[in-house]
Amino acid sequence: MTRSPTRRLRSDHPISGARPLALESTHCCICGTREAEPVGVGEDFEYRSSPDSFLAVRCERCGVVYLDPRPARAELATIYPDTYHAFSFTEDNFGLVYRVRRWLEARRLLAACGTLPADAVILDVGCGDGFHLDLLREYGPPGWRLEGVDLDPRAADAAVARGLVVHRGSIEDLELQADRYDFAILVQTIEHVADPAVVLRAIRRVLRPGGRVLVVTDNTGSVDFTIAKRRHWGGYHFPRHWYLFDERSLRRLAAHTRLSVDSLDTMVSPVNWVYSLRNALDDWGAPRPLVDWLSLESPIPLAAFTVFDWLHQRAGRAALLRAVLRREAE
Amino acid sequence: MTGPEISTAPVVVIGGGIAGLAATRELVRNGLDAVLYEAGPSVGGMADSHSDAEGFTFDTGAHFITNRLAAATGVDQHCRDVEHYAETVWLNGRSYEYPTGLMRVPRFLRAAIGERLRRAAAPPESAAERCRRDYGPALADEIAVPLLEAWSGAPASELSAAVVDKIPGGIAETVGLKIAARLTHRPVAIGYCREAPQSANVWHVYPERGISTVCEQLAADVADSVRLKSPVERITVSEGRVVGVRVAGQQVPAAAIMSTAPINVLPRLVEGTDVLEPFRAFRFRPMVFVNLRMRGRNVLPQTLTWTPEPQFPFFRLTETPQAMPWLAPPGKTLITADIGAEIDDEMWTMDDADLGEICIDTLTQIVPTARRDYLGCRVVRQPLAYPVFHQDYEADRQRLATTTGVDRLVSIGRNGEFAHILMEDVYWRTVRRARQLAAELKAAVDPSGLVSAGT
Repeated sequence: MTRSPTRRLRSDHPISGARPLALESTHCCICGTREAEPVGVGEDFEYRSSPDSFLAVRCERCGVVYLDPRPARAELATIYPDTYHAFSFTEDNFGLVYRVRRWLEARRLLAACGTLPADAVILDVGCGDGFHLDLLREYGPPGWRLEGVDLDPRAADAAVARGLVVHRGSIEDLELQADRYDFAILVQTIEHVADPAVVLRAIRRVLRPGGRVLVVTDNTGSVDFTIAKRRHWGGYHFPRHWYLFDERSLRRLAAHTRLSVDSLDTMVSPVNWVYSLRNALDDWGAPRPLVDWLSLESPIPLAAFTVFDWLHQRAGRAALLRAVLRREAE
Repeated sequence: MTGPEISTAPVVVIGGGIAGLAATRELVRNGLDAVLYEAGPSVGGMADSHSDAEGFTFDTGAHFITNRLAAATGVDQHCRDVEHYAETVWLNGRSYEYPTGLMRVPRFLRAAIGERLRRAAAPPESAAERCRRDYGPALADEIAVPLLEAWSGAPASELSAAVVDKIPGGIAETVGLKIAARLTHRPVAIGYCREAPQSANVWHVYPERGISTVCEQLAADVADSVRLKSPVERITVSEGRVVGVRVAGQQVPAAAIMSTAPINVLPRLVEGTDVLEPFRAFRFRPMVFVNLRMRGRNVLPQTLTWTPEPQFPFFRLTETPQAMPWLAPPGKTLITADIGAEIDDEMWTMDDADLGEICIDTLTQIVPTARRDYLGCRVVRQPLAYPVFHQDYEADRQRLATTTGVDRLVSIGRNGEFAHILMEDVYWRTVRRARQLAAELKAAVDPSGLVSAGT
């Protein structure tokens, strides 16, 4: 083994220069226990928002993968810096990738909406800058009434600037009208929240009986998780993804929150593959241009991994999980 | 019998080392009331560090942790990656890297393969037999058995076969991890942890201010639960179950007890049962750690050098600054020589300066300039360094692995479990036992499980 010059103390990390985060311990969002085993340990490879390392554990009862300890809620502004991509996923910044993703997402979203009444009321929980609501406004029927919810003022401002109706706060704290919504969207949001069960219960309350919620989230049953789970998996998005699911654990969560499963399958996405590779190369000190080339702005790796992940989808192990859950009519 | 006293009395944790602190934190995180009693004025236990005026830092023995344990305990930001870690065996005047270098010695390889081919069906009866079978007679007789005997202070034929650990993951995984270490330039932890998976992404780190940082962080997390200078004098057992402890003359009720007390001391603390009596016979091997201050750096062939030959008073040398350069001032280094001893024997009672001299006398065979570069030593005597797996009490040792025999009395930590486990295994095993105990206590209070298990 080579003997390199003394490595820096983590808190003196040249990129981060950031202070350690306040952390808090947590537990499984389904069974409430802490009976979990360590799976992976990693850092904020993407934003270097802190010098900490984070531990991902898997609940032995439910299979949920979660961050323990995780950043305290007071740290949200630190771990979601102003440069966070959800705040700046625009055509100006992402060009071709933005246009392709819009087209693909619109198709997927409308398919998931299925048959909704012409005057359906739709709620996007964790709407970010309003990307998905904007798609429904553009491609969906004109009678649909679209509303968003987001906790982050920067995201909510961006969505309001698009002319969308946004409720500022978290779904569990906002007192939205019960039994009102025909359809809710929870796209790449459930993994970010402090308690997915609380969020799903809050959504269930505002759905009308028979109403449905679309959940899309990173899949811990995927091939990329199996390969990179010890450290570099893009889906960890350390330290912003707090709860992660596979098919089995998502079904358990649905049952736990009294929602029935209309459909549950996996969905192709190149993003976690690209980030897993990027994180590994970054971690191992690969040349910077190569690391930077692997990003959401690079069509070639995105296209290549789309094809690659499509092969895994055929075995039911693609990168994302997609579920439509229903509040049964009582 | 699951009356209100269970919900009101705290769980008592005895001992403020890494196991006691990790247990307390996990119990608290599981929503239980826990109190840790530490006899001494500070936490740390065996995971303690010392610094001297000349800028040398040394632990009680030499420890490493991993980035995973650092993340789990919240000390990661205080850690640096270990620079380099490898082991070697010094034999016939030269060093052989462990384990790959030894396998290149034809007589070792021949004997090992020959032994594998005529593998006996019956399990080995002693550590000596197990060594010969696992490594072949040549390697066993020249290296494994002498090391085991120096380390245990008993003939290998009288030790349990269980003392000889298999390499976790086997040879293929070990070679894979070694390759990964070279590619990633990281000191990947190999054969270090059995309780959580090995991987190329789990490597050795070390807190800048010494290993005691881990305990200080855990203690800070449970500051309200820690009582220092509070020796537990008695554990009271009634009808096979713990009911309380006596601390500094005061009787305190306990819903359960997690004890890090050495297992052979525990029977002396417990009143109301004699099921722990067999554990009195368990022996620990005392160690004398001679920390030799030297001029120079990277003077040993590797971070850790095993010395099985009888001319050496020590059986292991560790040059910690090879791994953690900041533990010694620039241009200087620290070699820890491990000497097996018995309380009150010649080695145990020898003057520090004389111990330094006899180490340096033989160290010159490995480091020719050792005499010239020697700057003095500091000695740490550890009466309970390693459990001795003697055949005499093997059945009781195996029983202890599942239970102490007293309801709600859990024995944890290396000395409490009487197990050869390193820090990360101590942590995961303890945390698991604390969770099991928490689940058991909650089920007793609320058998229906209607009260949420979460905190």
